[in-house]
Amino acid sequence: MDNLVREITIVGGGTAGWLTAGVIAAEHMANSNSGVKVTLVESPDVKPIGVGEGTWPTMRGTLQKMGIDETEFFRQCDASFKQGAKFAKWVTGAEDDFYYHPLVLPAGYEKINLAPYWQPQSDQVSFANAVSFQGHLCEKGLAPKQITTPEYAHVANYAYHLDAGKFAAFLQNHCINKLGVRHVLDHVTVVNASKNGDIASVSTKQHGDINGDLFIDCTGFNSLLIGKHYNIPFISKKHILFNDTALAVHVPYQTEHDAIASHTISTGQSAGWIWDIGLPSRRGVGHVFSSAHTTVENAEKELREYIRPSLGKQADEINVRKIPIEPGHRKLFWNKNCVAVGLSAGFLEPLEASALVLVELSAAMISEQLPANRDVMDIVAKRFNDKFLYRWDRIIDFLKLHYVLTKRTDSSYWQDNCLAQTIPEDLQTLLKLWRYESPWQLDFDHADEVFPSASYQYVLYGMGFETCARHTTRRSDNIELAQMTFQKNAQLTQKLLAGLPNNRELINKIKQYGLQKI
Amino acid sequence: MPNHQLLDNISHKDVHVITENTPDFCDISSYSHVFISEFKDVQAHYPIFFQKNPQTGQFETIALFGLAGEENLFLTDAGWQANYLPLSIQRRPFLIGFQENTEDGVVSEEPVIHIDMDSPKISYNQGEAVFLPQGGQSPYLQNMSSTLMAIHQGHQKTQSFIDTLQQHELIESVEIKVTLDDNSNHAMNFLYTINEEKVAQLPDQVVTDLHRLGYLKAIHMMLASMTNMSDLITLKNRRLK
Repeated sequence: MDNLVREITIVGGGTAGWLTAGVIAAEHMANSNSGVKVTLVESPDVKPIGVGEGTWPTMRGTLQKMGIDETEFFRQCDASFKQGAKFAKWVTGAEDDFYYHPLVLPAGYEKINLAPYWQPQSDQVSFANAVSFQGHLCEKGLAPKQITTPEYAHVANYAYHLDAGKFAAFLQNHCINKLGVRHVLDHVTVVNASKNGDIASVSTKQHGDINGDLFIDCTGFNSLLIGKHYNIPFISKKHILFNDTALAVHVPYQTEHDAIASHTISTGQSAGWIWDIGLPSRRGVGHVFSSAHTTVENAEKELREYIRPSLGKQADEINVRKIPIEPGHRKLFWNKNCVAVGLSAGFLEPLEASALVLVELSAAMISEQLPANRDVMDIVAKRFNDKFLYRWDRIIDFLKLHYVLTKRTDSSYWQDNCLAQTIPEDLQTLLKLWRYESPWQLDFDHADEVFPSASYQYVLYGMGFETCARHTTRRSDNIELAQMTFQKNAQLTQKLLAGLPNNRELINKIKQYGLQKI
Repeated sequence: MPNHQLLDNISHKDVHVITENTPDFCDISSYSHVFISEFKDVQAHYPIFFQKNPQTGQFETIALFGLAGEENLFLTDAGWQANYLPLSIQRRPFLIGFQENTEDGVVSEEPVIHIDMDSPKISYNQGEAVFLPQGGQSPYLQNMSSTLMAIHQGHQKTQSFIDTLQQHELIESVEIKVTLDDNSNHAMNFLYTINEEKVAQLPDQVVTDLHRLGYLKAIHMMLASMTNMSDLITLKNRRLK
């Protein structure tokens, strides 16, 4: 018996399953006889959660590598542009309290750290506006590119908002018809182990046993392989990130011309926050909160109040879906010949759209480092586990950062979030350091961080964090370069405000005419 | 601002058109649309490129007249300095509009002639009469009418040509960099041309298909038209003196 890795079996559809299938099938040529065989088994009985409607800019590269036409993606997935996130009422809770976390890097980021030069004028201009143009584009409802910009290329860096259900169906179609993924629509009844503890096959109701050299668990919160079969422990992070329930609604537009926000709007509430994601056909809105700090009734009331200005009386009638969340992740993600991707590996909360990006990163690493045979699989598994444990920790730190910098004291939720025992030690250390040195390029250990140091800057300084100026001068201090970079950003802002189209107009045009490949 | 009106022999009965092309009587633009049916004449005088329509992002074929935004190096006080005028320049101040027609309950769109009454070519005392004194079409207008028909048909044929080139991924972006006699540099980065290498590597069957459609000839005319870039540069250098 040879132990080569030739067949990959993915259990579970949904965005995680189909994204993983697509990434691996495209790279390992599942549609050719000499490639790896990819099978996806999906139960017809299990409905995917389908809430994850925000992505990271990495999604552009992921789709492009899979050979997906961006125009078709817009047409079929109810997709829109996302240029970052606007955080309202996270700092003081006042009506005019907001800051942006845009997706473009601060101006001149490779050459200069503008944060210390901006700090003295922080009462005149927000950090995001001083160092980037993207917050202005979002406020004006402009798109991040023009109709003449080729597909996947950008004028301003962008990600997507999308309808997760439509996205999964779209990926499924592409995977089956273009990439050679075999689709088995059947319910997995039993997981069959072999002598060495690997998974030998999964039994299905009607299609018999399905073998695989590597199994990928994309079964969502059910966690059929990594959780139920292997009993890999789940590590709860609820003591750090309190949110454990979400209430989601679909909000219709009043007319087909209503503006589509090109950023996620996240608004702080008394015991959680509300996401607001504009798709071309509707808005996806939801309240994610801590059930230890409020009741479902109260959370629902706050949600209905949030949508009342746009819906009026209809706000009381709209159907609310409740989704429980267990913030945390598995202790290991890759065990034996099984790796978990998506919700089966863990979930924290919708903040900063970290769920889909983790799917992309997992799929990319499995695909890039796909073990050639069983002998080397454990080595890759260890690397994978190390890397992703690190990544989950960094994401947890980064999400928590949004809470610990609040100045809100109006509810126990915000107060508890600032208690030292709820803040990971790494984050406490960094916060201490950042009092005297702003985060920049070398602040983190890994070259491929999920959140770059720029993201930390946007949140820190967006939330009014202060880094003390150094008392001594440095040779690399360069106030002229800083001023020039601020000026250039201001000029670029004016130019882009004049040159970029309205977000909905561009999306309509893309659907009508399509984007060019070149 | 263009002022497009449906042409009729009552409201426009006295309208004349100044046919000479000088800076006073011609909208100044650095390019015009050209159609595959006129490539043979166009390529003898102007470089032919693709550019993206700023409204739709779709490719269209153009003849280039200048190196900067609103510069037409062929347009001089002595008239247009080339022996062929592209159809979409010839047509001015007329253009095609579409009128909805309902016949036996069937709605169809019919091409009709419009006129831009704000064009500098419009006159009431010089140039060619549009209508005869009795209200019939002047020979000049009949001529213009056939030019507009040629544009209407050429538009669709050119679109099929571009679609075919895109299917075979034969269009590539090109950056034109020019250094003039006064050492000034000019760059144009919105132009596209045909990827000659990819044309050379096309499978025999595709080459035959393109030939039968007349596209192979058009491809080579576009490629050959690039030599006219040096004429543009010469004209530009002459203006510097």
